[in-house]
Amino acid sequence: MSSCIVPVSSDSHFSIHNLPYGIFRPSASSAPRAGVAIGDFVLDLSVIAAAGLFNGPFFSSPSCFSESTLNSFMGMGRPIWKEARSTIQNLLSGENPSLKDNADLRKQALIPMSEVKMELPASIGDYTDFFCSEHHTKNCSKIFRGEYALPPNWLHLPVAYHGRASSVVVSGTGIRRPMGQSFPPTSDGKTPPYFGPSRRLDYELEMAFFVGPGIELGERITIDNAIDHIFGLVLMNDWSARDIQFWESQPLGPFLGKNFGTSISPWILTLEALEPFKCEAPNQEPPCLPYLTETSRFTYDIPLEVAIRPAGEEKQSVVCRTNFKYLYWTIAQQLTHHTVNGCNVRTGDLLASGTISGPDKESWACLLEQTSNAQHDIVLEHGGIRKYLEDGDDVIFSGCCKGDGYCVGFGTCSGTVLPAS
Amino acid sequence: MELPASIGDYTDFFCSEHHTKNCSKIFRGEYALPPNWLHLPVAYHGRASSVVVSGTGIRRPMGQSFPPTSDGKTPPYFGPSRRLDYELEMAFFVGPGIELGERITIDNAIDHIFGLVLMNDWSARDIQFWESQPLGPFLGKNFGTSISPWILTLEALEPFKCEAPNQEPPCLPYLTETSRFTYDIPLEVAIRPAGEEKQSVVCRTNFKYLYWTIAQQLTHHTVNGCNVRTGDLLASGTISGPDKESWACLLEQTSNAQHDIVLEHGGIRKYLEDGDDVIFSGCCKGDGYCVGFGTCSGTVLPAS
Repeated sequence: MSSCIVPVSSDSHFSIHNLPYGIFRPSASSAPRAGVAIGDFVLDLSVIAAAGLFNGPFFSSPSCFSESTLNSFMGMGRPIWKEARSTIQNLLSGENPSLKDNADLRKQALIPMSEVKMELPASIGDYTDFFCSEHHTKNCSKIFRGEYALPPNWLHLPVAYHGRASSVVVSGTGIRRPMGQSFPPTSDGKTPPYFGPSRRLDYELEMAFFVGPGIELGERITIDNAIDHIFGLVLMNDWSARDIQFWESQPLGPFLGKNFGTSISPWILTLEALEPFKCEAPNQEPPCLPYLTETSRFTYDIPLEVAIRPAGEEKQSVVCRTNFKYLYWTIAQQLTHHTVNGCNVRTGDLLASGTISGPDKESWACLLEQTSNAQHDIVLEHGGIRKYLEDGDDVIFSGCCKGDGYCVGFGTCSGTVLPAS
Repeated sequence: MELPASIGDYTDFFCSEHHTKNCSKIFRGEYALPPNWLHLPVAYHGRASSVVVSGTGIRRPMGQSFPPTSDGKTPPYFGPSRRLDYELEMAFFVGPGIELGERITIDNAIDHIFGLVLMNDWSARDIQFWESQPLGPFLGKNFGTSISPWILTLEALEPFKCEAPNQEPPCLPYLTETSRFTYDIPLEVAIRPAGEEKQSVVCRTNFKYLYWTIAQQLTHHTVNGCNVRTGDLLASGTISGPDKESWACLLEQTSNAQHDIVLEHGGIRKYLEDGDDVIFSGCCKGDGYCVGFGTCSGTVLPAS
């Protein structure tokens, strides 16, 4: 089915095969509510629900789409998500003519994307950041310990740390250069640490998934059930202040070097939409422990890009091309590991992959790796050179799967660096 | 009793000099502080979802730990943690929060603090040490964290203000308090094994030993523009004092199971056993009255 009641170009991220969910305001003064992206429009799901068009066996007359987050819907689980998706798809294709044949309803329900304001799509109880790229891990080890190697635990478990939920923001939010401490300028043991604006501000291209149905404390998600607890994926920028990070992070890990801001793209792509883009995940050697061993191991082929547009520059310069499929640990393994000890997860929890660097330099997904911690420059096609980010830089992530004559994409995840205050 | 607040984020600090040095001795053979420790209150983000109220059973977690041999071929151990520990901490709740990009300044910090509770940062040492390089503690901590149910206000603690430890070298200006103080709060840990009527005190310590104050913790947490919200929980780290009786976790008291502690009633321990009831208490003694926290307790349930 590729007919659609709104025009959708073949390179639009938001084809009828996608149908990602988000929370939006149709105008600045309206209440936030749920929507689905389609072409250059947003379908207002609260309007569709109010018109009585969700009337299936599992999912009937829902009120969840009038809420300010998607959490209620996300908690309902795959059978309901499937039914909702089918309803929306049938309305947008015209197979169900209720929207196609009702000009007033169409006008109310379909809002130009250029007019809306996107919000965070979910209320996030906890945010966890993993470290699943072999290449990123080895590059960082090379930079800090002189050794291009993995830590002894890395091949056995998906390493992770807890992040800060309060500072996860939606794409488009300005990111202020943080103040903080970093290494004393001399190592005589007497000089106090540097304190001031971070001088090593970086991005990290990641993807993150939202938990759908959660579990109670003491329960576990098993590897073959994990996918049913996953609602969908977004792009994420794990903004990092490398100088703050490296001074503070021994022995307890990253803290202020990360928690000044984390950006996510506004549209959550469902696993249903990503299904055609499943592919093999990297082979695991040594084999992982049984609780992490998948009966059916797969990942997704999602091409990803980073671009930088300096202040005053019209054009953006692509600085990274990578792919979600490079990650050693899958989303199912991440979620399973996270709960093996009885840790509970809740609907709306966000679990991020870690920087998605691939094998070649073009695919290294942060400036730390690309410049070897400022030892050399990268060249921007439009706008000079960079070691780390400068004030006014607009950093834009994008990700898009190419189907046969259509696309399933994430839109963008962007943020502009604001000067320290 | 229920959890008193909805906790958006939970942060755990590391503010005891003694605890930090003891841990360093155990793991690196060196009784020393990391190079950053005297300059900033070191912290990591904890898991908000698994903060539970006192009285909740704490199930021994399953998890990975170091392979039993270091030949590089043997897979990690996987099974119930064999090194389950408690950590006596205190934690404060944020009152009014701030927006992303704002900062709490050191002399305003106290006005953002609603009050304090006792906290048990239950830890599975074997899981923790296998996983924690390079990104810090994760599954070794997030299977459960207990807090006492009654939040004591700073008004109630006012008569128990006292001097905080001297800071040397002096900290940076943003952490330098015009009026530096802490609170004299005697704290205890007791263990009551399954089937035993009496509890045995295994630790006596005091909140006042902490090098970094609650005002400094909160100020540092927001210096980079990180936002805090009402209900956020910020914990002190294990409150060990200078002498062995005041070391506030079994890791320190048994030097990571190298020797035993003796329970007055109920045998010996290296780490916690199934059925152990671990009870924290804290109480300030006024002139003919007390201001106390009640208890923060939890029983260890066997792995499932």
